[in-house]
Amino acid sequence: MKAVIDPAELLLRRLMRLLRWRLWIQEKLQPTEWQVTLLWAALAGFLGALSSILFTGLAEGVHDLFGYSGNGVGVVESMRQLPWWGCLLVPALGGTCAGLVLLLGKHIAPGQSSTDYMEAIAIGNGHVPIRASVVKSVAALFSIGSGGSIGREGPMVQLAAVLASLIGRWRQFTPPQLRLIVACGAAAGIASAYNAPIAGSFFVAEIILGTIAMESLGPLAVSAVVATLTVRVLTSAHVLYRVPEFHLNSAWEMGPYVVLGLLMGVLAPWFLRSLRQAEGFFVSLKLPLVARLTLGGLAVGAIAINVPQVAGNGYSVVVQILNGGLMWKVLLGIAACKWLATMASFGSGAPGGVFTPSLFMGASAGYLFGMAVHAVWPTAAQDPRAFALVGMGAFLSAASRAPVMAVIMLFEMTLSYDIILPLMLCSVIAYYTARGLDTRSLYSESLKTKAAAAESVAPFSTETRVADLMRVKPPVVGETARFAEIARLFLSVRVNNLYVVDAAGRFKGVVSLHDIKPYLGEPDLAELVIARDILHEDFPRVAPSQPLAEALGGFLGIAAERLPVVEPDGTLRGSLSKGDLLLALVEKRKKPVAA
Amino acid sequence: MTPPTDLIANPDVLALELQAASGAEAIRELHARLGAVGGGVTDAPRFLADLMERAAIASVCIAADVALPHARTAGVGRMVLAVGRATQDVAFDPEHPGVRLVFLIGTPKAAVADYLKLVAGLSRLLKKPGVRAGLLTAKTEAEFLALLARGAESKR
Repeated sequence: MKAVIDPAELLLRRLMRLLRWRLWIQEKLQPTEWQVTLLWAALAGFLGALSSILFTGLAEGVHDLFGYSGNGVGVVESMRQLPWWGCLLVPALGGTCAGLVLLLGKHIAPGQSSTDYMEAIAIGNGHVPIRASVVKSVAALFSIGSGGSIGREGPMVQLAAVLASLIGRWRQFTPPQLRLIVACGAAAGIASAYNAPIAGSFFVAEIILGTIAMESLGPLAVSAVVATLTVRVLTSAHVLYRVPEFHLNSAWEMGPYVVLGLLMGVLAPWFLRSLRQAEGFFVSLKLPLVARLTLGGLAVGAIAINVPQVAGNGYSVVVQILNGGLMWKVLLGIAACKWLATMASFGSGAPGGVFTPSLFMGASAGYLFGMAVHAVWPTAAQDPRAFALVGMGAFLSAASRAPVMAVIMLFEMTLSYDIILPLMLCSVIAYYTARGLDTRSLYSESLKTKAAAAESVAPFSTETRVADLMRVKPPVVGETARFAEIARLFLSVRVNNLYVVDAAGRFKGVVSLHDIKPYLGEPDLAELVIARDILHEDFPRVAPSQPLAEALGGFLGIAAERLPVVEPDGTLRGSLSKGDLLLALVEKRKKPVAA
Repeated sequence: MTPPTDLIANPDVLALELQAASGAEAIRELHARLGAVGGGVTDAPRFLADLMERAAIASVCIAADVALPHARTAGVGRMVLAVGRATQDVAFDPEHPGVRLVFLIGTPKAAVADYLKLVAGLSRLLKKPGVRAGLLTAKTEAEFLALLARGAESKR
């Protein structure tokens, strides 16, 4: 017997103690791959918020650049102060600049045509091209800063998604994970644009992922919360729309709200259709890109000479409506003009979003309807401003086809809980009405065309295979690896099963952490036991060529988080994570993963 | 299946006078006796080949005078244990020339956990004060078995 413990054995004992600690922590905290994903989601949220703040700052800079009086004056106010020729010139110039940037972008980022984050998440592999996105965002700065009737949330979300995609690519995420992290970026973008973390998560879950399964909603929520928190700490962000208190004064009011829901359900698809028609009209002019965008800006400017309220995303007018500061005749005029201006901006292809303009349409229509009911039957609509608020939610619900998100977003933007009953009812009615009239939503159209294009490009990969999802180079040990070596490897990589390969790289089986866990305090075993002594040869495995649904069967009946991916000749190719597999299967649209 | 700790107290084979001088001989001798009592061993040649192969890959000794030749093999239908005490020093490998106690283990392929339990149980038993010395000097099989039975007492 040895009287003195030799240093090697001492080291071994320390190693075993460390591994016991790690296991203890693992058992207490159960850190699964999902939980690690949450950390990356938080980072995506933080970066998304920073990019949103940057974009807002730059948009204001461009706004000042166009000769508007600065100091935080809104686009509408700036437009009001401009002479008539200025009203014409500035949006037109903005359109020209945006067009030139886009044109230049075709040289900087040739071939990077698919820039949309929704596409990357829903039908792509999660790669959001950087240069093309930056080009589009810079172009959007000009169209937004010059007073185009378009929302700024689109480019903000796009930028946040690009940064998230970069994180994922840096960490070498698999396609489903990459798509999820891009979705987290998008949620962060929405959350920071509207100061609405819950709506941010639900927007992405409901519209893009098409599921509110916890697998994806959890990371989305974390990302959105971190983003909102960052914006609140770094800027003076507050509740987006300050609204007076509303009360449901009488149960009779629910009657008109039902009618409002129906009305919005009809109006929203009509609005979307008009935008598409405007787009078709501008395309049919066959003008060069720069000229088309200039013309769009000119049209907005022409309307803004008499109705400056059409400039920008409509935020300031919505605030006015919610505070009851507009006569109905005036509002009717503004709303009609705003509709036309949005058609001009969107139709000419000005980069930006139509989310906030949708809110504007809902608020105006709701308010006008509320006024009308109030005039006829005051008991049923004591405060028309409440109808404006509910109208926003209902219109959004009908346009985006995401009623849950719409209800939550309205609640978060106003923090007014009093309207929740009519809001929920109205949003759901508007949603069903709109769905009955038109199957296309604000977002479905471009996705469908792109999905069809993706399928025609890669018709052979109609089904995702294990090889598309697997991670290469899993940690392995040799058959003769000693217990100590196995323990050391378990300590450095976070897996529950180590793959054992022979000299030729052929898969032999797995060593399970679960098996060795009780014996980490036994130095004798560390000397005696080698990998092949504790090998599970019958461990389930999947082949690279197997379709995903089939691979899922491999996980049945075992508690493993990963399965080895093994060629028919026995060569170990990689590992397939259950998390990745479930994510891929949970995504509603089972589209091919682009290679 | 018999719990591994019970198997320690009641090994399939107990041979207090192993004649072997080398590890390979010790393994052969205990293997032959296991085959003779029948029961667990279903494919004796296969079992022996696996034992030899494993002993050739890496040392099977856990102390200067204790060896645990073992194999996870398709040659046994259940876990088997043969315990031997050599009358002279047995050279298992260059680093372990003076082995006196040999515990030969055969485990079915799937029984990874039981195998570890048995090995850990033996290792703990031999660490108990007086056990190893007692096993080396036990005069009768009953005495030897009584000491082995202490392995079944404590399951930690």
